[in-house]
Amino acid sequence: MLIPLLVLLGIPVKEAIACSMVAIIATSSGSAASYVRERITNVKIAMYLEIFTISGAILGATITTVIPPVYLYFFFAAFLMTSFLKIRHSNDYEFRASQHQDRIARWLGLKGSYYDERTKKVMEYNADKAVLGGLGMLVAGLAAGMLGIGAGAFKVTVQENILKLPPKVSSTTSNFMIGMTALAGVSVYLFSGLLNLTLMAPMAIGATIGAIIGGRVLNKISDKVLRVLFFFIVAILIIQMLYKGVTSV
Amino acid sequence: MNTGKLGSGESRLETGISYLLMAGVIISLVLEIVGVALLYFSNHSLAVSQNQSVFIHGNDFFTFLFQQFQGKHSPGTGLQLMTIGIIVLILTPFIRLVTSVVYFGWEKNLKYVLITFFVLVVITLSLILH
Repeated sequence: MLIPLLVLLGIPVKEAIACSMVAIIATSSGSAASYVRERITNVKIAMYLEIFTISGAILGATITTVIPPVYLYFFFAAFLMTSFLKIRHSNDYEFRASQHQDRIARWLGLKGSYYDERTKKVMEYNADKAVLGGLGMLVAGLAAGMLGIGAGAFKVTVQENILKLPPKVSSTTSNFMIGMTALAGVSVYLFSGLLNLTLMAPMAIGATIGAIIGGRVLNKISDKVLRVLFFFIVAILIIQMLYKGVTSV
Repeated sequence: MNTGKLGSGESRLETGISYLLMAGVIISLVLEIVGVALLYFSNHSLAVSQNQSVFIHGNDFFTFLFQQFQGKHSPGTGLQLMTIGIIVLILTPFIRLVTSVVYFGWEKNLKYVLITFFVLVVITLSLILH
């Protein structure tokens, strides 16, 4: 959401993208610290999926340094819109664990449980379709590295709809992975002459403080409220992508 | 609330990672705030500059890292503290990765040693080569 604003203020778009990646590490690490301690984040699932997100991010960031990303903005705006379809049909949705688990997910032990503070119950779950989920994460990493975003909304969509993880596990695990994805992106941008300290430092300060506060609120919210919040964030992201596309034509 | 063996069942790893991430972001936050304050006192402005001196330059991350801590680039200034703050932020997920490889090695969980080691190698190579 920051990138269109920075571009409007006269910051070159590639510089805005590279500096945002650093702020994303702060956001992810700051909020993940409390989710991981509350045992909602599934670190094993995150580590498996990071194989794909970092590969995508390095590829994406490399592409951004060589081509103008104008058409991709429109592509991702359209792409984000697809996540609305699933959400609208499942408005009254409360998570039910999938009984099915494919062979690879079982072999990797991709399962877990967490204590839901709102329902006061321990929720158990299994991940399904590990390979397809991994490919989804490759696309998420590609988008993240290319556009300087966390691609968290897309990671959540893949985890909920393909891997069949509960919403809270999806959002916190996605958030945890975003830091590693952003590190992969930053590793490409590091010495490209795009990282501006006078831009990054205030962004990192704001992102860290916001993330530490946000990380303490999530487990107290119901899944329905979380879904509505997610819906609005995806809507804002679509506007952001279209805006980027239009402004860079 | 009893959360002993929830999450992915790796409770010690989760606790360790949690403290590590928190320490990383707080150290970085303090360095950034002090750095920005020092920069403001010397420049009397917090505007985003396009001067080449405010951009990060170098050849590879690890050489750059040692040079920073040896104070080869404008020591004691706001810009140096801001640079170190950014380095700490970049190192936070990196150390999280190293910790995970060591943890799974200690647990003799070969599958996850390979998974985390692969990610570590790719990230390290990317940090060295770019």
